[in-house]
Order: sequence, then structure tokens, then C-alpha cells
Amino acid sequence: MRRSAKTVFYTIASFCLMWSISHAGGGELGYLSPEQINAEMKKIAGDNKDVARITTLAQTPGGRDLLMLELGERNVMGPAIMVVANMEGNYPIASEAALQLARNLTGEWKDELASRRWYIFALGNPDGYAGFFGKPLYNKFVNDRPVNEDNDEATDEDGPDDLNGDGYITRMRQLHPEGKWLKIEDSPVLMKRADNGKGEKGEYRLFPEGIDNDGDGDINEDGPGGCNPGYNFPHDFMHYTKTDGMWAASEVESRAVLEFAFAHPEIAMILTFGRSNSLKSVPESNKKATGVKDKYKLPKWMARQMGVDPDEEFTMDALIEMGKEVTGIQDLNEDMVLQFLGVGAAVNPNNKDLPYWNEISERYNEFMKEAGFEAERLKPKPFPTGSVEEWGYFQYGVPTFAIDFWTLPEPKKEEEKKKEDGALTPDEIEKMSNEEFIALGNEKIAAFLKASGAPSQYTAEMIVMGLQGGMMTTKKMAEMMRQMKKKEDSGGADATEEALYAYNPGAFVEWQPYDHPTLGKVEIGGMIPYSTLAPPIDSVRETIAKQLPFARQLSQLLPEIAIDKVEIKKRSGDVWQVEAWIVNNGFLPYPTHQGQRCQRPTPIVVELIGPSLTFLEGKARNALPLLDGSGGFQKLSWLIQAAEGKTITLKAHSFSTGTVEKSVSLKGGGR
Amino acid sequence: MLKKYLTAIAILALVLMTASLQAGDVKLTFDHFYDGPAVLDALEKLHKGYPDLTELRSIGKSEEGRDIWLFTINNSATGKDTEKPGIYVDGTIHGNEVQAAEVCLYLAWYLLDTYDSIPVVKEMVDKRAFYIIPVVNVDNRWRFFTDPVSYNIGRSARVPYDDDRDGLADEDAADDIDGDGEILQMRIKDPYGGFKTHPDDPRVMVRTKPYEKGEWRMIGREGIDNDGDGRLNEDGPGYLDMNRNYGFKWQPPYVQGGAGDFPMSAKPTKAVADFILTKPNICFDYAFHNSGGLIVRGPGSKLAGMYSPRDVKVYDFLGGEGEKIIPGYKYIIGGQDMYTTHGDFDEFMYSNMGIYGFVGELFMSEQERYRKPEDEPKGEDDDHSYYGGTPQEERQKFNDFVTQGIMYKDWKKFDHPQFGEIEIGGWRTFTTRIPPAFMLPEMMHRNASLVMFTAKHAPDVTLEVLEVKDLGNNLHRIRVRASNPNALPSLSNKAISKEIVRRDILKIKGSGFEVVSGGIVEDLALDRISNVEHRPWMIFSSVPSFGKTDVQWIVKGKGKAKITYDAIKAKNQSLTLDL
Repeated sequence: MRRSAKTVFYTIASFCLMWSISHAGGGELGYLSPEQINAEMKKIAGDNKDVARITTLAQTPGGRDLLMLELGERNVMGPAIMVVANMEGNYPIASEAALQLARNLTGEWKDELASRRWYIFALGNPDGYAGFFGKPLYNKFVNDRPVNEDNDEATDEDGPDDLNGDGYITRMRQLHPEGKWLKIEDSPVLMKRADNGKGEKGEYRLFPEGIDNDGDGDINEDGPGGCNPGYNFPHDFMHYTKTDGMWAASEVESRAVLEFAFAHPEIAMILTFGRSNSLKSVPESNKKATGVKDKYKLPKWMARQMGVDPDEEFTMDALIEMGKEVTGIQDLNEDMVLQFLGVGAAVNPNNKDLPYWNEISERYNEFMKEAGFEAERLKPKPFPTGSVEEWGYFQYGVPTFAIDFWTLPEPKKEEEKKKEDGALTPDEIEKMSNEEFIALGNEKIAAFLKASGAPSQYTAEMIVMGLQGGMMTTKKMAEMMRQMKKKEDSGGADATEEALYAYNPGAFVEWQPYDHPTLGKVEIGGMIPYSTLAPPIDSVRETIAKQLPFARQLSQLLPEIAIDKVEIKKRSGDVWQVEAWIVNNGFLPYPTHQGQRCQRPTPIVVELIGPSLTFLEGKARNALPLLDGSGGFQKLSWLIQAAEGKTITLKAHSFSTGTVEKSVSLKGGGR
Repeated sequence: MLKKYLTAIAILALVLMTASLQAGDVKLTFDHFYDGPAVLDALEKLHKGYPDLTELRSIGKSEEGRDIWLFTINNSATGKDTEKPGIYVDGTIHGNEVQAAEVCLYLAWYLLDTYDSIPVVKEMVDKRAFYIIPVVNVDNRWRFFTDPVSYNIGRSARVPYDDDRDGLADEDAADDIDGDGEILQMRIKDPYGGFKTHPDDPRVMVRTKPYEKGEWRMIGREGIDNDGDGRLNEDGPGYLDMNRNYGFKWQPPYVQGGAGDFPMSAKPTKAVADFILTKPNICFDYAFHNSGGLIVRGPGSKLAGMYSPRDVKVYDFLGGEGEKIIPGYKYIIGGQDMYTTHGDFDEFMYSNMGIYGFVGELFMSEQERYRKPEDEPKGEDDDHSYYGGTPQEERQKFNDFVTQGIMYKDWKKFDHPQFGEIEIGGWRTFTTRIPPAFMLPEMMHRNASLVMFTAKHAPDVTLEVLEVKDLGNNLHRIRVRASNPNALPSLSNKAISKEIVRRDILKIKGSGFEVVSGGIVEDLALDRISNVEHRPWMIFSSVPSFGKTDVQWIVKGKGKAKITYDAIKAKNQSLTLDL
């Protein structure tokens, strides 16, 4: 039954192949080239000289300019938002979105610029992005710094070759005893990996389209360039990958962004436009840090100095206690001990930041629904290691949000029949609370598990226990069901390819025979490069335009500092007690809790200023610890000596919150 | 008596002459420390004296605009520097660790000065390239001689940093409040201060016993509370520790203090890394620091991962010999035997670049002894400087009778703007981590000797034909051996396994024959060959430590064959044979 429906689907699709508009490179799809993007940024700056300035921050290995467009009234000192778009170089929509944001900010949203500054990198990886305009077209996302990928005697000597002359680098398949791939039945283009466990025997070997230019036995293993600066940022950077760079910040593009960011302490928020999305769902918070354990040994010399057995293991609490005693540092904390022991950086969003992220995510999903984006789409890519979005939160310490704007729509499935016994769909489950689900009772839950094809080891009792213990939520369950369903539906094909095929069958080149110089008989065909990343621009303009207002909304969530109340009490004669409440009226905390850990950005400093006053208690200058969001406060108090009637001024300031002031006169008893 | 005195002076003069005036053309003496301009002056003299063997150039500028000088020793008559194994040596990445620069200068001077007179040195200079950067932290080493500092001020690069997180950077440094040109210690009379005067030496303070009233409280480094925050000297210039700013598994400041904003964010670290990238021939590095009496290798942290056992063997050999060349030094693993470090230079060199290297911690403070041989402790480590060193009162005797009291400044009353009457005094700037100048020559020579020992053990690969066998049918089997008598292999295992450096290429070329097969000989007698599938005339491999790599080709036809060995970190070789 299912199969026949599929056959119909594929048959229709293969008809489409013949008449659908052929996919092509960036220019043909209506995207601006790297040069055009830079020209557009310059044009926006030129047309809006009152609020816009352009700076060239670096020159890429390919000789292209890395530009930053600064928008803001000249005299604005307050917070800035840094927007980094298309850092991975493979996501043309991101650059389009950044340019559109710049146009909005210099157009109808111009009032934004009166209180906030925007630093827009519309194209973070110009060299990589230039690949989208190259001929033949292939997935080159790296910059033009030569890298010897195969570590042999020559560099960049074996790139792709457009053998069939169609302008695309697709794939080659060859019937071969070593083959691990199979055609998908009925599909003219899709392939799947043979599953030996299901009795499937592989038939085809797959290669990228090309020849073994250097005769080393590998095809296209050392193409032009380079490194992808989008993975070259210092949080969780991956070594030894060739494409991610030699070390974090080894590439001029990433270094330019880093240098810029650290030279601009007023940056209070980072938005990234790229392939990942931290709003649709909040990044996972269950990664395990390398080296974090329950118990630790001390280094030998330390153990010896402290008179303990170097082989004994201690809990963190015990170590903190011992550490306090030995060092005399009373505010010794876990981070300091972990640092001493050589245990690495944070890997999960701080628990205390998560409520904010979750709320923003809910608002985003609500916003998307209202904007008319209810349809299911493919999941955006999770944060890559070494990405700018990870660095922004974990090391730069500011709220960082990633928006991807578009992924392929989920392929329309056969009518989802409500199954017998009134079995639940993922959507229904998601809407239920844990308690509501448990209340269904074991029998119904068991039936549900069976109907949704859960492995037999999952019993109703286990699920209930999981829900009660917090290991499982209805949301997670719905997600798992969808994943399971996806596997089943795709017949083994890659889910992205399947979705692409449903979206645009013309995005595939049909397999055609080719006589390969070294492999012999092969067929060339498969997915056209970039087709999962860049639909024709006209088809997504509206998608971008409708989502951009959320970026603006995010900027309005920044912390807003106010001196809420100043209380003056006369203690005696000319001795006064001054109490002040510094309040954050913005939604977001200052700094984030992770920011507090990584000591960024600069703290809010509260100064008490006045003519000829003496501090009996308290200091003139006070750096505040953290102000929680939505009304979080810190109370400060001083005992000062000054003549009655004098005016004192409280000033709270930081680079990224601007300055607020309040003056009060010292009067008997009152305020 | 006078006669005795004169004889002593004569002997001393003779000793100094042999140290400074032997054979060479450039006179450098090593009985003192070279300040900022003097380091450059010495390098310029050496370069002028040996223009054919040396090169002097700046590899970049520091935060304060000072040049970072690279001194290259290479005999261009025997080839380009990059064709030979390169030895990289630097010093003073921490600006206060001054004598590291002197060791670098001494090494350069010794190699050049004895080039003509000592055959071993001549051979070494002819076959190796030495890249020497005596001062990496040019700003703070320069300032160490001009600004009021103490032995532990000036480690950082001159990159402003808000140490106390009050929104201001570098606003509360230590201050030379008594204007004597040094930052010493401050103490104040306080019966609850926990210290009392040592009964035998009023300069020394000892901790009070629980039931005793004290006499002194140690306030800390000389200075005032410049920013009025109630803390003393808590935000001095910097803090970016360049030896935590390198790229391998770099960790941010909240994990690794002093790491800087991102890898290579300091100008000197960036300049050095950029330079290293231009010299892929470097096979060993030595980075000198100033205190501990240690030969340190990585890993510096657990995050850096284990070192490959094959590489550890090489380290152990060199480190073990090092302990003999420099008596008293201990060969240790930084992250295990000392403390965790992320982003340090030697980790970068080994794990990122695949280059072996040591950190040399120069001074052994326990050499400041004043005791009879029979009073030496019998325990092994306890007296090593790393674990504490010489007791204060003994050190004072050393100061009094061996350095004539110049190491210590007596406590002197001072009227402090915040504390009132205090006393300032203590161990002076050029002490504690820095040996008295008279100890320099031996320390420099032994450390330079360890560098030279390592340089000698850089890979020297030779090629020889083991066999040309007629297999009939116009076929020949050729077996060639590439061997290396030295400790350093042509590539570290790290470089091979992580594909950091291109492997050596053994190649057969010629006309009139065709290469039928080629591969590495695993066992000569049993004919076990691992053939390469493609391009059999070109075999990628390396030559191990104290070992050999044998290759075999089967060729069809006749003619002259040229066999070449092409390596990144060893000198290329070739030979020809007739088939």
C-alpha cells in the first residue's frame, strides 16, 4: 500500500524533472555576488551618511574585502548589536537577510539607531561564498588560503572536474564489488546506503564528480583552498581537521571579527545569520565537559605540600574547603579549582541563563506562527564546534542568537491516518503536559508506544518513570517520534535529499552514463550543489522580510539599567546613610550568567560623586556583580560625611549599557 | 698577603679572558645582564663579526612598538637554512625572566666564536640552522631594566587588562614609593600579624607559633591603593601571559588565567607563530624561562592529550641526557609534575606543529647554599628549588658572604600615605628567580650545551643502496636504505599521525625503465613488503629515531636511476645507480 503511493510520488516527480526550471549558481538564482554584497554595503553607507559608516577589516586570502557596516547615530554611546552573517560562506540567504536588515535600519526602523548601534558583517566569509558563483559549481565553502589537504607533495592539485560539462560537480556512481550504496526503488535519482543487517547488498560505489588529477588513487581530495572561518572561533575549536584551520583564530576572517569584537566592549548582543538556529529550539544543555569528574586527584607536589596522599581522590566540595584553607582565598569557587586542576571550559548554557533562552524561544515560535510559518521544515543545523555563535555566548559572554531563516520544507507525507485506538500524534503529545500524559494510564501508553513503533524495551512503566524523574518530557517524546517516523518514511534516503526532491526535483541531475578515464563505466548525477542551501532568492524574500522584525525585537530585550531609588537617612550631624537600588528593567540579565563566569562584558560601575564628601563606609567606585533580567537589582549602601544640603550624584555606567545618573540632595531624614 | 691577592686577581683575569677573548672576533662577556639596548647591540656585533654565518632581522613589533629580533645562524655556503634541520631557541617570553636572553646570546656567541676552533661546533653549524629569538617579551624585559620592578613583575605582555574587574584596566600597579628604583616588600608593626623577627637575623621574619604574639604583618608588595578600592596593587600593567596565548587547545581566561582574548592575540605570539610557519624545517625548539632547574616537556594539561609513546622515547632520551649535562636539573612533564597550563608555547610546537621541544627553567635557587657538604639532606627531591629551596636565614648568609650583601635590602622606615609608619625592604630585583651574575657562565654554558646536544641529534639521513637484484625478464629489484644515527626522527609521530607535516618522499626517477612496484620493506630477510597502490615510484615515509627505513622498487628496463630522499625536516639526499 505504502509502496504504491511512493511509486506514484516518484513517477510524478520524475516528470517534474523534465520541465522544472534548472538550478544554477548564485547569479542565476538572483543572489548578489561577494563583490555585489560589498558594493551594496557601501551603497547603504553612502546613501545614509548621517547614520552609516563602512570599514574594511581585513583582506581575505582571495583578495576580497571583509567589510563591516556600522549603523547608529554618531553620538550614541549605548549598547551595540553585532550581526555576523554567512560566516560559513555556504548560506547565501544569510547575507541577503543582513543586507535587508541594514536597509530596514536605515529606512523604516531608523529610530532604532537613536539608542543602539549595529555592527553588520553581511558577509563573514567572502572567499567561501565566492564558490557559489564559480564554474563549475561545487560546494567550496573554504577561503582561498592554500591547504595541502592530502598532505602530499603538492597543494590544491586535485580539485573537482566537470566531466559531463553540465556546469555542476555532482556525483559518480559505479557498479562495483566494494559498493555500499543502492538505488532507491522507483526513484530516478535518490540513493541509499545498503543496510546489511536488513539483508541489503550494496551495489554502487559513490565518488564526487572528477578525476584523480595527481594519480594518487583519490578523487578530488585536494581542491583549491582552504579553511572555513565559520568553524575557526575559539570555543570548542576542533584541531586536526584541515578545513577548520590550524588553530582557533588562525584565519584572517575570524581574527578580524574577534579583534573587532574585543575592541568594541559596547557590543551587548550577537546575532548570527547562518545555518544554525538557536531560537526554534534552545541549544542542548546536556553535553559532558571533558575532564569533569566526581572526584579528583591533586598534583603530586600540591598533595605533598598539603600533607595528603597524592593517590587519594577528593570531591569538589572537599577540594574547595581544602583550597580555602591553604590559599586563604575565601571566595575560592569551583571554577578556580577546575582551572587549577586543568579541567576545561563550560560546554552547556548556564542553567540560570536557560529560562531566558527558553522564553525567547517560545516567543520566537509564537512570532513565527503569527507570521504564517507554521509548516514543518527540516531541522536547522546544530551549532557547529568553533562557530561564532558558540564563541559569542561561551567566551564573549553576551546573549547570542542564531537565525537561519529557511530550510527545506518537510516533504508532504501520505495522509497521516489517525491510528486505531485513537493513538496520539506527535503534535498532540507535544501539547500535553507530563502529568496529562501520565494520567492516560499505563494501558493507553503501552498502546501508544506500540502504535508509534517504539522499540520493545520501552515499557509504559519506564516512560512514566522517565517523565516523573525529569529524564523525559512530552516535548522530547514528540521529537523522538518524529525522528523515528522520518527514518521510516525516507526509505533509507538521506532526509535532506528526500526533502529536496519533494521540494524541487529539478535540483537533481539524472544519472547518465559516462566513460571515466580511470574508473571505466560510471554514471554521473545526483544533487546539484547549493540546492539545499539556496532556493531562488525571489522565493525567500518574503520569508526573510517577515522574520527580520524578530531580530529587531531581540535587540529590544537588552538590559536597561536604571537607578530606581535613592534613600538618604541622616545618622547624625553631617553623617548620612545613602542607599541605592540599581535595577535592570530590560528582559535580559547583565551580564549573562555565563558572562559572569567568563568575566565579560565589563561590569556596571556605580559611582557616588559629590563635593567634599568623606566615605565612612563604602567606596566611591563600585563594580556590580550580576543584575538579573526583568527587574533584577543590586542594593548599594554607603555611610558618608558631608554638609547638609549638598547634592550627591549617583552614576551607573558600563560600555554596553550606557550611563544613567541621579542626583539627590542631603537633607535631614527625608529622601 | 698582598702577593696572594695579586695572584688571585691574575687568575681571575685569566678566567675572564678565556671566557671572553678566546679565538673569536667578537668580544662578548657573560658576567652581567644585558639590558634592552645591550641585547640588540650584542646581536649586531655578532652579525657584523660573522656576516656570512648570520642574519639579524625583526619578525614584528610588540604592543609598545619594539622590534622582536631574530638571529639566524646558518652557513649559506653549505645550503639554504630551510634545507637543513632547524633548531629554534627563544627566551624571555615572560619579561621578568631576564637571564633566558643571556643563555640565547651565549649560545649564539659560542657557536660563532668556536666555529673555527672546535670541529664539532663547525660541523653542527654547517649542518643545521639555528633560529634564536633572545627576547620574545621585548616590552617588559626592556622595562625590567628601566622601570621600578621586582623579580616577579613584568611577566605579562603590555596588553591592558582589568584584573580586579572594576571596569578599569591597569589602574593599581605596585609603586616605588620610596623612590629607590625597585619594588620591594612592605611590613608593618602588628602584634597580630603572624610574623616575628628571627632571633639570629633581624632581616628574616618567621611565622609565630599559635600561642605567641607576633611583631610584624606582611602588607605585600611596595605600593599604594591607587584607585581607592581598598585593595593594594591588585591591577598592574597587563595581564596577558604569552605562554598561555598560543593556539593548541587554547582556553579562555576564565579557564586559563592570562590566556588573552583569543589565540595569538598578543603581537609577539602572533609574530613568532607566523615566523614558525615560514620555517617548516624546524625540528626542535627550546624555550628558556628563568627559575626551577627544570627541563620540562608537555603535555601541559589533560586536555592536550597523551604524547605518542614513540615520541616520548625521544623526549626521555634527550631529557635524560639533559639531567646529566646540567647537574641538578630535573626532567619533568609540565602538566603532571608541575601544574596545568593551556595554550603554552611548547604545547603549540609539539601538538600543533609536530615539533619536539623543551622548556628550560634555568635558575636553581637551592644553589644559594651556605652549609657543609655533610649537612646536605639525604632525601631526594625535597631540597629541589621547585619544592621550596634554601631556608631564608641560610640564604641571608649566602647573601652576606658570597654576594657581599647585594641581594637584600635592609628594612627601612617609611611613612606610607595609607598605612602610616611601615618598613620597606626585602630581596632585591635581580634575585630569587635570577642568579647572582657570577653564577651565570656555568648555567649558560651547560644549557647551551644541552641545546647543542639536541642539535647534534637532529636527523641526519643518509641513503645507501642495499641491493640491485636481476630478477630476469628485464626486471630489477632495487632496495635502498635511508638511515638516521640520531635521536630525532625525520618526523615526530605527532606530525605523522595528525598529518601536520608532509611526509618524507623516497623517489626513483630515470629514463629507460618503468617502475612496476614500490613499497616499504617491513622485513628484509622474509621479503615482507607493504606495496603502495598508486604512483609506486614515490613512497611517503619517514626515518625513525636511531633507525632506518628500507624501500624496494621493482623496475622493468635499463638505464640510469636517480633515487632521491626529499624531507621537510632533514637534508635531502640523492644517489644514482646503473641498471
